[in-house]
Amino acid sequence: MADTLGSFEQAVLLAILRLGDNAYGRAVLNEVQARLEREVAAGAVHATLGRLERKGLIASRLGPGTPIRAGKARRFYRIRPIGLRALNEARETVETLWRGLEWPLKGHA
Amino acid sequence: MTITATPPGWAEDVLRLVLRRADFDAVSGDLLEEYRDRIHPARGQTGADFWYVRQVIGFAIRSAGVWGALFGVAIVVRTALDWFAPTQDFSVRSAISTYVGIGLLLATGFWSAWRSGSMRSGPLSSMLAASIGSLISVIGATGMLVFFHDARTMNAIAGSGGLSEVFTMPLAMIVDGLVLGTIGGALGAAANAKLRLDL
Repeated sequence: MADTLGSFEQAVLLAILRLGDNAYGRAVLNEVQARLEREVAAGAVHATLGRLERKGLIASRLGPGTPIRAGKARRFYRIRPIGLRALNEARETVETLWRGLEWPLKGHA
Repeated sequence: MTITATPPGWAEDVLRLVLRRADFDAVSGDLLEEYRDRIHPARGQTGADFWYVRQVIGFAIRSAGVWGALFGVAIVVRTALDWFAPTQDFSVRSAISTYVGIGLLLATGFWSAWRSGSMRSGPLSSMLAASIGSLISVIGATGMLVFFHDARTMNAIAGSGGLSEVFTMPLAMIVDGLVLGTIGGALGAAANAKLRLDL
């Protein structure tokens, strides 16, 4: 599974993990932007959320809206066990690739 | 926070046309919340409206992108065939590429109206797909021309309609997208309504 998880997908999954019960679309967008330290298109985050849900890595449910969003529903996301496994495998793959190398790399700039 | 600030109504209408019906409330709510809570206070009305429109364009391009890429690749393949495997009789190639193009633009309109539940989504998505496809075809043709401009290739290009056709015909396809997308959209919206009734 890990080889199919892109870096942006990992960023979105980790944002959901960090946000816990408050992981709805806009919160995920802001968390991803904060972690990546750049502006991210809302469409990119929503497309990734949709793809991860189709892959079965996350699940979603609709929650109540708030006045600032004109009462429109919020879609809350949570990671499923298979999503956690995919994240663990992705991390393990990266660590395996780096094992034996000193970080930060020197002399190759 | 400016809770009364409102993004352009037409942009929200476009957003409705390019999203799945089931996704519209949550996505437009997220955009509105971000617009009111963070973007509007920081950038003012014009800046916030520009941000909102940019987000909607992003959603629109993503919704028609795959169809546009398929359309563009189909045109590039046809162009490459005409340039590198020239023929005297273009009728078979023309028929195949015409039907592939018609099929793709109809399918784009159908699919888009099916998922949004609105017939108006069909022409919008098909025109977008045709525009993206046209851009890909122009970039593809320019790229091929950069690497292959020997006498033989230039003769083949002249024999298949010339360079002007390569660079102007894609623009006409945007009008085709309007017509075919309207037909596909009507079919998609009708199928959506019928199935929903049956379910």
